[in-house]
Amino acid sequence: MPNVPVSFDTSWISPLTERLHEDGPWDKWELFKLALEAEEAMAVREFDSLQCLNYLPLLSPFPHQLQTAERVLNDMRGRAILADEVGLGKTIEAGLIMKEYMVRGLAKKILVLVPASLVIQWTKELQQKFGIPAVAQKKEYMWRQHEVVVASIDTAKRDPHRRHVLDIDYDMLIIDEAHKLKNKRTRNYQFVKEIRKKYCLLLTATPIQNEMDELYNLINLLKPGHLGHSTSFSTNYVEGKRQSKNSEKLREEIEKVMIRNKRSDGGIQFTSRRVQSIPIELTQEEMKLYEGVTRFVHDQYKTGTGLFNSLALITLQREVCSSKEASFMTLYNMHQRTSEESLLRAQILELVEMIKRIETHSKAAKTVELIQQINDKVIVFTEYRATQNYLQKYLHDHGITSVPFRGGFKRSKKDWMTDLFQNRAQVLIATEAGGEGINLQFCNQVINYDMPWNPMRVEQRIGRVHRLGQKRDVHIYNLSTVGTIEEHILKLLYEKIDLFEMVIGELDDIVERLNLSSSLEENLTQIIMDSASTREMALKLDNMGHAIRASRQPHVAPALSEAAEQ
Amino acid sequence: MQANQVRQFVERYLATFSAHIVESHPDYLTVKLPVEVDKDIGNRPFYWSWVDKMNLAYQPLVLTFAFHPDRMPDGLRAEHLHLGAGRMQQIFASAKKHGQFVCMYEQNTASLPATGKRRSTPLVPWLGINLKVSFLCDKRRDLMLYLGVNLHQPRVVHDFSTYLFQLPLSPAIPDYFYTLDRKISVEDALQMARQEAEAVIAKEDQAWAAEAKARLAEELDILAAYYEELAKREPQAEQADADDEEAEKAEEPQAAQAIVPLPQTEAPPVAEPVVEATQTIDEYRSSGGRILDFLRANGIQVTPREEINQEEWKKSTPEEEKQRRMDELRWQYEPRIEVHFINGGLFYLHSNPPVQKLSGAKTVRHLPTNGRIM
Repeated sequence: MPNVPVSFDTSWISPLTERLHEDGPWDKWELFKLALEAEEAMAVREFDSLQCLNYLPLLSPFPHQLQTAERVLNDMRGRAILADEVGLGKTIEAGLIMKEYMVRGLAKKILVLVPASLVIQWTKELQQKFGIPAVAQKKEYMWRQHEVVVASIDTAKRDPHRRHVLDIDYDMLIIDEAHKLKNKRTRNYQFVKEIRKKYCLLLTATPIQNEMDELYNLINLLKPGHLGHSTSFSTNYVEGKRQSKNSEKLREEIEKVMIRNKRSDGGIQFTSRRVQSIPIELTQEEMKLYEGVTRFVHDQYKTGTGLFNSLALITLQREVCSSKEASFMTLYNMHQRTSEESLLRAQILELVEMIKRIETHSKAAKTVELIQQINDKVIVFTEYRATQNYLQKYLHDHGITSVPFRGGFKRSKKDWMTDLFQNRAQVLIATEAGGEGINLQFCNQVINYDMPWNPMRVEQRIGRVHRLGQKRDVHIYNLSTVGTIEEHILKLLYEKIDLFEMVIGELDDIVERLNLSSSLEENLTQIIMDSASTREMALKLDNMGHAIRASRQPHVAPALSEAAEQ
Repeated sequence: MQANQVRQFVERYLATFSAHIVESHPDYLTVKLPVEVDKDIGNRPFYWSWVDKMNLAYQPLVLTFAFHPDRMPDGLRAEHLHLGAGRMQQIFASAKKHGQFVCMYEQNTASLPATGKRRSTPLVPWLGINLKVSFLCDKRRDLMLYLGVNLHQPRVVHDFSTYLFQLPLSPAIPDYFYTLDRKISVEDALQMARQEAEAVIAKEDQAWAAEAKARLAEELDILAAYYEELAKREPQAEQADADDEEAEKAEEPQAAQAIVPLPQTEAPPVAEPVVEATQTIDEYRSSGGRILDFLRANGIQVTPREEINQEEWKKSTPEEEKQRRMDELRWQYEPRIEVHFINGGLFYLHSNPPVQKLSGAKTVRHLPTNGRIM
């Protein structure tokens, strides 16, 4: 083969010659054969077919994951953006690609940069699912000493780590949540640009809905120049900030470097969601409290001493719908901020009195009933820590085992709680943010004890159990207290937009497109506070729901009804 | 490798070391590891350096290997052994280590005339070498070459090992046989083998290399064009970037900017790391060393406090960046071929291996698929 350098191993000549002279020591024939068989077993027969599966007998990747791996290896030559919709298993795809290169001896020194909260999880998954000897970076020497290192960008970019990372030639660089690198002016971006690498994978959530130059910046990390220079890129492809022109051509170019599997691609089967709304009738005392708080909140908003902002006020109102314990905590804090003898303080104390008079807990009671009926593992989501604590006790008093789960737990505690839930307890009571990276597919029952006001968070909750790998249909129970704002949000908004029937990731799309995410809660707060009457509120919520529904992709709707029929 | 092949391999491997099989069950195997196996796959190098230094009797390791993940033994702690298991890789490495060089003699066979008088039969010396040829760019493909060089009447044959596995061989010269002289040296034989290997390579399909080179050229072009544009359009933008960076720095939390103050007195002299040449960490540990000593001795310095400097941040110039990117592309795509020696030895035969024409050798030569060579 002309011009292709051939290096010939000659290291064996002197040992062999020596043995010839000494007539020994000779190795055993059987071992000689075994050595040859071992090499045969590990030889890579063809350039383009996947080997790694031979080394991963316990892994059953989905077809789209295998196809992705093949495309990255064969067509994209190891440099790609993996941008699957949420829940399709990007980590598995990345692991397969890594393993394949390692098995082929093409990658030894590998760096994986992920958000700090995911370092341990990535390390474990690589070790357990892929048999890759990954370590989570802790001490300085580990950069040099270990072959596969998992770390956070924030750590890596700082001295004394930086000097090692920028000095090493990495066979492969993998970055999770790469959409955070969309701004080329950030230090993180500049840092990543400096790293020397042969193969590179960028894992990201939703790149294309973002601004065009964000996408451009990402591609530049991977294959600079592939979309041309930024101004010619703008000229050729960018209409407005979010609009692209020459879409066909742009799409073609992007497809050369990015893979985005969608749920709707077909061949990817998800189980369906079955949603039930469970109305909770409040007792008289409970209702009195709610009405009292509502009045208080409205008064404060309107006359506004300004001591409590609208967010705090509406939180109080929502807490009442959750549990009296939660509202008590907030009222207590408010109480501390008021001055002695003020009218405000008196009002607050009045509300506290109402709390004291409540002896029942309708919502909790209903929850117990539901759990007993379900007779299987259940996850109960609540927004409020006080509610969480209360529920644990309440459930315990009714003979139901439960474990708590909070964002604040360290990684090892999260694992431990997940373990307990799987093996010992019937119920997991979780507040927000407990979710990232936790896999609870062995459970298919979810109770929304109270609703977050950000539909994205609703999605995240459900996404804990409803993912690729969930074998059963997922049952969702939405508890809402009758005649309260909780009911309004549920009925007038979430149900109107079929929030719970949306496929995972669909909401992502919509929220990004309508630029809703940061302002949704504010919007809702305003609507609730400003509406003079329930009717007005209903109307405004309806409008919002309308806008959201209108922006749903048309082709999804028929697919959904099909799924519902199955 | 299928589960049964894995099992057979492991059983044969252990048998060559006369390992004591404690229990053999259809689904699993419990074995007491002999010393050499223990040292190779037991993962307890410190234990061995202790035992060897103190000259103690050792406690053998007893391991249970299971071959089917869904048929693990109850009550016993077993490990699933399969191609991808770390332990399996260790077993492979051990077999390779102990199966490097052999010297074998073909035994008397029925094909030889049974005469009343015993005559001495000549044995021809052969050098057998097993090679793995790897075609590499950003992808990889391997080709196994089993060459045999006749040292008496110099010529090269292919599939030598495949042929050998059909013969009755023994490490001792059989009675009534004598060996013929080597007419060429090992070095010369090597040369012949090498030439043969290169001839095989030359006949192989070159498309992969051409494609990789074309791809490399294309990518380098795109890169060059990009940086050219960049140079033209962005000398002012560079300044703008620098300003933005200043602004951004000001925003970053103070913690990230903390500069550890340099000590007032002169910094203590940092000892030059003594870089020891080739000892790997495993070797070091198996000779009883401590990890930190190893690190210091091998130049993996822990950066002393005084030298940590968060301020220092020299961004690469576009030229440097371009160069780095180009180097990366070459590293990724540049086609190259590596020929590795697997094992080899001296073989004294009276039978003749068939001489094949070179032309056929495009496909990979496989050993019989039942997993056993003999």
